[in-house]
This record gives sequence, structure tokens and C-alpha cells, in this order.
Amino acid sequence: MMSTTHATALSCEDLSASLQGQPVLHRLSLQLPAGQWTAIVGPNGAGKSTLLRALAGLIPSLGSIELLGRPLTEWPRKARARELAWLGQNESSGDELSAQDVVMLGRLPHRAWLAPPSSADQAAVQQAMLQTQCWDWRQRPLGQLSGGERQRVLLARALAVQAQVLLMDEPLAHLDPPHQADWLQLVRGLARAGVAVVSVLHELNMALQADGLVIMQAGRVLCHGRPSEADSHRALQQVFDERLHLLEVQGQWLTLPLAPMTSPAPSPAAFSNIVPLKQKAD
Amino acid sequence: MSRAAAPHAPSWSAWRLLAGLLLASGLALALGVAVGSTGFALDWSGTDPMQAQILWQIRLPRSAGAWLAGALLGLAGAITQGLFRNPLADPYLLGSAAGARLGVALSLAVLGGTPMGMQWLERLGLTGAAFLGTLAGVSLALTMAKGVEHTLRLLLAGVVVGVVLGAVTDLITLAQPDILRTMQAFVLGTTSFLGWPSIVLMGGVLLLSLAVALGASEALDALTLGEATAESLGVRLGLVRALLIIAFALATGTAVAQTGMIAFVGLVAPHLVRNLCHGSHRQLLLLSACAGGLLLLAADILSRWLMAPQELPVGVITAILGGGYLLRLMHKRKYGGRA
Amino acid sequence: MKPRFVSSLVAASLLALMLGPVHAQAQAQSSAKVEIKDDLGHTTQWSRPPQRIVTLLPSLTETVCALGACERLVGVDRYSNFPEAVNKLPKLGGLDDTQVETIVSLRPDVVLLAPSSRVTDRLRSLGLTVVTLEAKSYADVQRVLDKIGALLQVRDAQAVWRRIEALVGAAAQSIPPQARGALVYYEVDRSPYAAGPVSFMGETMARLGVKNIITPEMGPFPKISPEYVVRAAPQLIMIGKRNADGLFQRPGWDRIPAIREQRVCVFDAQQSDVLARPGPRMGEAAQIMAQCLREQSSSSKKAR
Repeated sequence: MMSTTHATALSCEDLSASLQGQPVLHRLSLQLPAGQWTAIVGPNGAGKSTLLRALAGLIPSLGSIELLGRPLTEWPRKARARELAWLGQNESSGDELSAQDVVMLGRLPHRAWLAPPSSADQAAVQQAMLQTQCWDWRQRPLGQLSGGERQRVLLARALAVQAQVLLMDEPLAHLDPPHQADWLQLVRGLARAGVAVVSVLHELNMALQADGLVIMQAGRVLCHGRPSEADSHRALQQVFDERLHLLEVQGQWLTLPLAPMTSPAPSPAAFSNIVPLKQKAD
Repeated sequence: MSRAAAPHAPSWSAWRLLAGLLLASGLALALGVAVGSTGFALDWSGTDPMQAQILWQIRLPRSAGAWLAGALLGLAGAITQGLFRNPLADPYLLGSAAGARLGVALSLAVLGGTPMGMQWLERLGLTGAAFLGTLAGVSLALTMAKGVEHTLRLLLAGVVVGVVLGAVTDLITLAQPDILRTMQAFVLGTTSFLGWPSIVLMGGVLLLSLAVALGASEALDALTLGEATAESLGVRLGLVRALLIIAFALATGTAVAQTGMIAFVGLVAPHLVRNLCHGSHRQLLLLSACAGGLLLLAADILSRWLMAPQELPVGVITAILGGGYLLRLMHKRKYGGRA
Repeated sequence: MKPRFVSSLVAASLLALMLGPVHAQAQAQSSAKVEIKDDLGHTTQWSRPPQRIVTLLPSLTETVCALGACERLVGVDRYSNFPEAVNKLPKLGGLDDTQVETIVSLRPDVVLLAPSSRVTDRLRSLGLTVVTLEAKSYADVQRVLDKIGALLQVRDAQAVWRRIEALVGAAAQSIPPQARGALVYYEVDRSPYAAGPVSFMGETMARLGVKNIITPEMGPFPKISPEYVVRAAPQLIMIGKRNADGLFQRPGWDRIPAIREQRVCVFDAQQSDVLARPGPRMGEAAQIMAQCLREQSSSSKKAR
């Protein structure tokens, strides 16, 4: 278990949810602290996206969810939208809006009905777009952007909300390594500023750089701890069928898919700075 | 990093497009007043009382009415395309067209007979029957979809209602075959008898629908990011959908009641606008209304002019104009493709 | 005694000689084939008149019955409803949904239909004899009467035509002088569609001595601009009941003398049927119109 040095930004208890009649989440309990970046990983069908949707209040669920100490159901709609931003997997169909207009949509929770954007809104939009490097082409319509550019615009939209809790589902889709690095920097900055960042990732190497790692399987949380802890590693091996090769390289943990070697294994002396993990659990 | 890329097509600013559309509409209105059963004739002398009456009582309200009906249809088309996030949506979804047809068929069949029926027909008129039919069709689709939560269910319910009501209409025309030609004339659409009362009615409904739609324009913009994202931004999806459906049903019902079912205007007007100007829904809705008005007014002028004093059915001309424009669009760019 | 026998023999042989050729001619006549060429140029030959007839057009139904062959009808189309007897016959559908199988199962000797029918080739390919006829004007009606009369080998088909002419003439006579020459607008359908002078309704109107606001160049049933009607300022309007709602509220029409003075004839469904069919009841149609003209001119309203 983690020591709760940070206040809990978002938590759930006994959370159950179904998708199209099939139960997906089974009495799940989780505490997501503020000021930390938590990554959620797991095999396909574990219920990661569903968990994120349930936490954001987008699907009906059983059990209790608390946002910033208050039950989610007690939050007025707009106040909740101001404090909790959600970035889903790409489901947009709009091709006509310019990038800037899309990011400005993120300011909807802050704007009065039909009010024109204020200077605070403009500033937030600009800051978000600079952070994801899409400010230079802000007038281009969404339909003319490549996959990566589009993703950065959508990311900026979520950032523009300036919420205290940021939930992101597969935020790295279509992003090439430089932009993934930018994203990493961005998320760390947000966490330092006190935002609770939660991201569902299937890039395990990125997830292993988070402050907290939640490992899910079949609608349940198997383990919630630091990525460097042995418990986390054991859980990872368990959910991924022992097909992972976990290594520590220069202080960071990495995984590689474990494939049978065709040539004889190199001698340990060849990798003097790598400490291989024992394959079997204790 | 950022790409320095040229925009694909010149994009007009929304205000310029609005000014352009309004100017063109004004010119078309003037043209509409000049074109009549004698062809094109600029005769503003006003000394002849018959000519004056024709100008004021017939041509001006008819032209303005055509513009207003087209505006209602264009607005309704933009609403449905935004609400259902489908560029092929048109105002005749959700059972509105089938309901209008059934209303007309029922009143023709039932009220053509009994004397009491004749009284009702006199009071209600085909316009009233078509309007009530539209509302009934949409209400039926809403009931079948059990509310407004799921757009896919709404669309399906609309299809089912369309088919079922269409079958009932067919049964009625089978039982009373002599209403068939009147039904066909209704389906093709006509602007022939628009007068000042129609103008007042359509103008009022246009303002109301426009107000409701503009109020929901932010929500429509948010919807382009997906329903879940829109909800996460605090949009009241259920309320917005309900209001937009009411606005679109009113607009479609009024237009259909006054002018019958005119094809393609509601489908093409938003595409025309989107092709010329990339904007948010706030601009798109108003511009679609203006574009629709211009399109129908142009079609009405052509229908009166080409074979004066005979008239072509205006629905045929909108189909040719609108369908031709869509073909050209499809030819010019790969439809729906992203860079 | 002997000379009387010889003279009677001569007389008998003379009689035989005279009657012989006549008898032969009569025999030749009864074995001669009647050739019918229909409106599409298709020729059929008949050694004897058809006994089982199917008609797919109301005016053709009425023509067959007017020529006295009603009991030979075995099937009619959906819209045929006169005379009353045909309502007991199987109804074989309309233009879009003609029931080909039922027609074949009725084993008709001939099927009478209009050029607009879509099943002509189909029926022919199934071995049926099809005769296509259409009447759009008075001359057409007479010709169709002639052809069907020849087909049915009716002795005096033109008796029907003479009756029509007599009724139309009587109707024309019954128009009071102040109603003659009135300017009339006949609205056939919404949008509006008018009856022009080259249609059979227009011809009836011409025979009754009234003027039509439509000119012959515009065709039989033009879709016109309502403005045209206002300019033409008819004194009398004829319209069917189904299309009459809102007539007096049409914009700009309050100028029209017919509207101002309320000289409008509204025909109910049965009358509309009679007026719309170019067939044996054209005489009755003329009478309906004449009655309308008489009523509208005999009231206190002054004719211009």
C-alpha cells in the first residue's frame, strides 16, 4: 500500500459498472492522490477505459465515487466539469472547427452560457496549445491535420480546462517519440503543480515512469503501488502471462516483450550495468 | 513540430459569407418580384392597380415566403446534421416527412367526404394537417426511442416510423385512389400560394427556431468531439437534444405545411456553407438558414420563369440544383477524407 | 298441268340462283375476320367477338358497358366503378400493381388498356390478346367507340355517340344567354393544374359556349402560375371538392371576379369522376357543367 502523503483527489469504493449488460468492473476501490501522476495498465478487456469513464461520471455505476472529498453525485454539473477533465480515445467527428476553436471548447465549463471568450479563456487556450506545440497552426481545421497533430490539439483541449483532476485514455496515440517526451514533461509539470493526472496507457515503458501504477485485470485492481516496487513487477508479470522482461536501465524501469531467443543467450558480462530480475516469483 | 502548410481551399470569413448571402437574397427577391406569369418584366409604374396587386399580394409574399421556407429547411438541416453528427442527415428524419404525408392523406381522404369533414378541412386546411402530421411523426419516433438519450436509437425509431406511417399512407391511397395526384403534387412541393399570413407565420417560427438553435450552438460544437467528451465538459446532452428536436420539428413542420415537401434544400444548404467557410455552429446555423433561403428562392424564380405562364414543380428544380451541387462537391474532393 | 310444273321449276331454280349468291355472301360474311388496329398500331383479327373481356381503364369499362356488353366483363381495374354492376367483378389493381396472374387466370379473350399501362408486353408474352386504346379528346372518344363497337360486333356503336352528342347539345341549349361567353377557369388539381381547351373537358366547355382562360398552346393540363389566373380574371371557377379548401384565401385572388362574386362550382367526388373520364358519360359531364353554369348565372349575382 502507498503511504498517503498527498490528499486524495479522486477515489472510488466498491465501484461496479456494466457495459451493454455485461459487468465490467467488480467492486473496485481505488484512491488517486493529488499532485501525482498515476498510470493504469492492464491487458485488453481489463476495464481500464470503463474505469476512467465511471470515475468521470460518464457512465452509470454502483458504489461511491468521491471527487476532491465530495461525492461525485453532489457536484453541480458545471463545477464538476471545471474540476475534472476527461480525454477519451478519439471519438470526434468534427472536421470543420479550427484547432483553436476546438481547444476553446475546453473552456466551456468556465464560460457563462453564450458568453464570448474572456481574456482568461484566451490565455488558457494559448498556454495549452503552446504546451502541446500546436499554437503555430491554430487556424487550421481539424479535418486537415495528421493523426499526431490532431491528438495534440485534443490534448490541449483537455489541458485548457485547467482542472484539478485530469483523466486521459490512451493520450499517446499517434504521437511520435519527441512528442511523447513532451507529454511526459508536461504531465510531470502538472503533477508538481498539484494536479492529479491519471492516464490509461498501454505503453508500459511510459507507465513505469509514473508516480503510481495501477495494475488491472478482469475488472479488478490487482496492485496499486510505485512502479519500482517488487509487488508491482510481480503483478505485471501475472497479468501479462509472464511474457515480460523487466529491466532497470539507468534508474528507470523498462519492459521488453519476452520472446524465445534463437541464438544462445549472451553472457551476463556483456551487460555489466543491467541487473536481470529473477523470472520466478519468490 | 509545426508544419507550414497552405490551407486547402480559400476560406471565407463567416461575416463576409453572411453579407454575401444576404446581398444575393436581396437581389433574388427583387428578381422574384419582377418575374411572373408573363416572364421577366420590370414594371414598377404602379399605376395599374392590377399590376400593383399582383406585385404586392402575389409576387412579393411568394418570393419572401420561398426564402423563409428555404431558411427553415436549411436551419433544420443544419440542426439535424449537427445533432446526429451525420453529414447526410436532412430535415425529413425522425418521421417528420412520413407524418406530414400521412396527415395530408388522411385529411384528403376523410375530409373529402362528409360535410362535417368539409368544415374541418376548411378550417384546418392541408397546411394544418401537414403541420400536425409532422409533429405527430416526430413525437411517435421520440416515444419509440424512449426519450432522447441515444441518438442511434432515435435514428432507428425515425426509420421505423417512416416505414410504418408510409405503409398506412399507401393503404389510404389504395382505398381512395383519386387523392393520389394531389398527394403527388404535395410531395413535389409548391410555393404557389404563399401569402402574407404565411410570411408572418414562417418568420415567427424562423426567429424562434433560430434562437433555440443558437442557444444550443455551443453544445453542438462540443458534440463534434463526441458525446462523452461533451458530457465531460458539462453539456446537458438530454436537454440540448430535446430542445433541438423541438426546434427542428417546428421548423420542418412549418415549412412542409406551407410549401409541401421540397427536396434537397435542408441537405445541401449546410454543405454549401461548410464548403465555403469553416466555422463553429453559431455561424453555421445562421448561414445555413440564409443559404437555404437563397436556394429555394432561386428555384422558385426558375420554376416561374422557364416556361411562363406554366410552372415547373419547384421540388424538381431544387433536386437538380442541390443534387448537381452535391455531385460537384463529391467530384472535387474525396468526401470525408482527412489529410 | 305440265306447263305450270315447268314454270314453278323455273321459278324455283331462278330463286335458287338468286338466293345462292346471297347465301354464299352471307356465309362469306360470317366467316370473314374483323381486323382491329389499336392505338399503338397493333393489329388483331377476330372471327367472332370476344366473350370474356378485361378492361384496365375506367373509361374503357364504361364504353364496353354502354355498348351492351357489360355481362361479358370478367375483370376491371381498381378505379372502375360505373356502372354499379362492375363493382362485383374482381378488381385487378391500378397502374403500378396490375395483378398479372389474376388476369391470366381469368382467361380473357381480350384485355383492353391504355398506352400508359406497364403490363402490355407482359400480358402479350403470356399469350393474351391486348388491345391498346386511349381517348383524350372528343374525336378520340368517337374513334374508341367505333373500334370497340367493331370488336364487339355491335350493330350500332354510333348510337352511343349520338346520345353523347344529343346530351351535349341539349346541355348547350340549356345555358341561358347571359351565361354564354363567360370566362371560366377549371382547376383540375392543386398546384394548380388547369384544364386547357385541347383537353376533353376543355372541349366540353367550348361546346357549352364558354371561354377558357387557358390558351391551346399550353397543352391539355398545364401547371400554371396562380398569377396567370389573377390576370385572366375568370368569371367562373370550377373546382373539385378536395381542392377547394382555402380557395377564397389565396393571396391576390380576391381581385378575381369569380372569387369576389362567389361564382364557384364545387364538384363532389362522383361528379368529379364523371367529369374526369373521356367516355360514354361525357354527355352527363356536359350536363353537370351546364347545371353549374345555370346555377351560377340564375342567382341574383349579375353576370358581367
